[in-house]
Amino acid sequence: MRIEKGSFMTGYVEIVVIGEYPERFLQKCTTNGIVLWDIKKVKDHECTAMAQLKDVKKIKNLRHRTHYKIRFKSRYGIPFMNKRLTKKKPLIFGLFLSVLLFVVLSNMIWQVTVEGVPEELENQIREQLTSYGIFPGAFTFTMESPNQIQQSLLEDIPELLWIGVDKKGTSMHLEGVEKLIIKEEEPKSPSHLIAGKNGVIKNMYVKTGLPQVNVNDFVEKGTVLVSGAIEKPHNEDEDDAEFEYVAAEGEVIAVTWYRVDVVVSLEAEHIELTGNMEENYRLRIGSLSIPLWPWKSEGFANEMSEVEENQLKIFGWELPIYFIKENKMESILEFSDRSREEAVEVGINQAKSDLLRTLGPEAEIITEKVLQQTLERGKVILSLYFTVEENIAVEQPLN
Amino acid sequence: MKKWHLRIRNWMVDYLALPSDVLLELPRLTMIGNFHLYIENHKGLETYSETELKLKTTNGYVQILGRSFVLKQMFSDEILLEGEIEKINYISAD
Repeated sequence: MRIEKGSFMTGYVEIVVIGEYPERFLQKCTTNGIVLWDIKKVKDHECTAMAQLKDVKKIKNLRHRTHYKIRFKSRYGIPFMNKRLTKKKPLIFGLFLSVLLFVVLSNMIWQVTVEGVPEELENQIREQLTSYGIFPGAFTFTMESPNQIQQSLLEDIPELLWIGVDKKGTSMHLEGVEKLIIKEEEPKSPSHLIAGKNGVIKNMYVKTGLPQVNVNDFVEKGTVLVSGAIEKPHNEDEDDAEFEYVAAEGEVIAVTWYRVDVVVSLEAEHIELTGNMEENYRLRIGSLSIPLWPWKSEGFANEMSEVEENQLKIFGWELPIYFIKENKMESILEFSDRSREEAVEVGINQAKSDLLRTLGPEAEIITEKVLQQTLERGKVILSLYFTVEENIAVEQPLN
Repeated sequence: MKKWHLRIRNWMVDYLALPSDVLLELPRLTMIGNFHLYIENHKGLETYSETELKLKTTNGYVQILGRSFVLKQMFSDEILLEGEIEKINYISAD
């Protein structure tokens, strides 16, 4: 009904009129300008009707000095709702809090994605962003505009050619292009390839230049392996040959040998775990770390820890909150004796890895031999002999 | 005197084509099917129950009989009645 809807704003009540001929009282009301609707006769001496809230006082006045009784049954409309709401303060508080939380959370950066750049540069960009105050968990109130961020990123990271900064709601999307510094290859000056070490040549792969030695030749350090001077074809009549000078290129794989001395102690020290463990749980928001359990970590005198970090997610959203589980394990330093054989083995492995480290990844150890081993004051002194296959070619400029 | 008054009014309705309900102070009943009845220009509510509605008019009563009556709206001289209307009787005051 039309009246009903209009009355919702101002409020309306359901009244019950009790008495003989209750409809006559209602008629009296309407002749006094009161609007009534949904009138029902419930019993012989009882009528219910709807009336507007503003007319309640009038109705009460009209009832005065009559035999009718009036009861107000139900109240409808916004004025009553307000009253009811003010009674429910926790509800309103909760509502206000949720709105506040919504506002706060929607003004946070939840995600920063960087695209189109290698990981190293991406990390650099992220570091810079963090220094500007942009990281998951940061507020957007204090943030600079994307244009300004773009400007300062380009200024601070010279490797960036271009970067696009796009802020979509609570996530930042960055797309970068790396500046590729391409060095122009200088034309190589003419050079020979000479032997960098003594060795027996096993294989030769020559790209440019004239090979001077053969496979299975023994070469000494400094011997020219590949010559950069190539004789030009000339007439047989002329005596003096003309040379064309090129930069010799190629690989010369040779078998070389090394003598290595190693000292290995018979006493070994290693870390052992006692089995005592303490589990720590923490929450990390940005740089803030909140211990969950236990509140006060006691730790151990000597300890090793394993840290597991998990990002919290809700419906596929990555929250800037991390759940951290840290296992602290008590450790002790143990000393143990090893036998001579064990010490020798350790020594060989150590020597091998040291040698490979100095020779580079392309070198390959073929054989190993223990030349000499002596025991002296609890230490094994080893003298080892290795044969290695490696590239011995070294460039030498031609004058 | 009253008769003379009435005569003039009747004449006005006939010759000036004025609405009769206003001039003659008679109730105007508008009915939609048998479930809505809009009564204007009545002189007061006499009795009302679920099965009966009796209204005063200038010269008597209008009695409406039926079932499950609800007064959907009520102003000083207008009533919207909802329910199953079966009969409308005019009862003269004499």
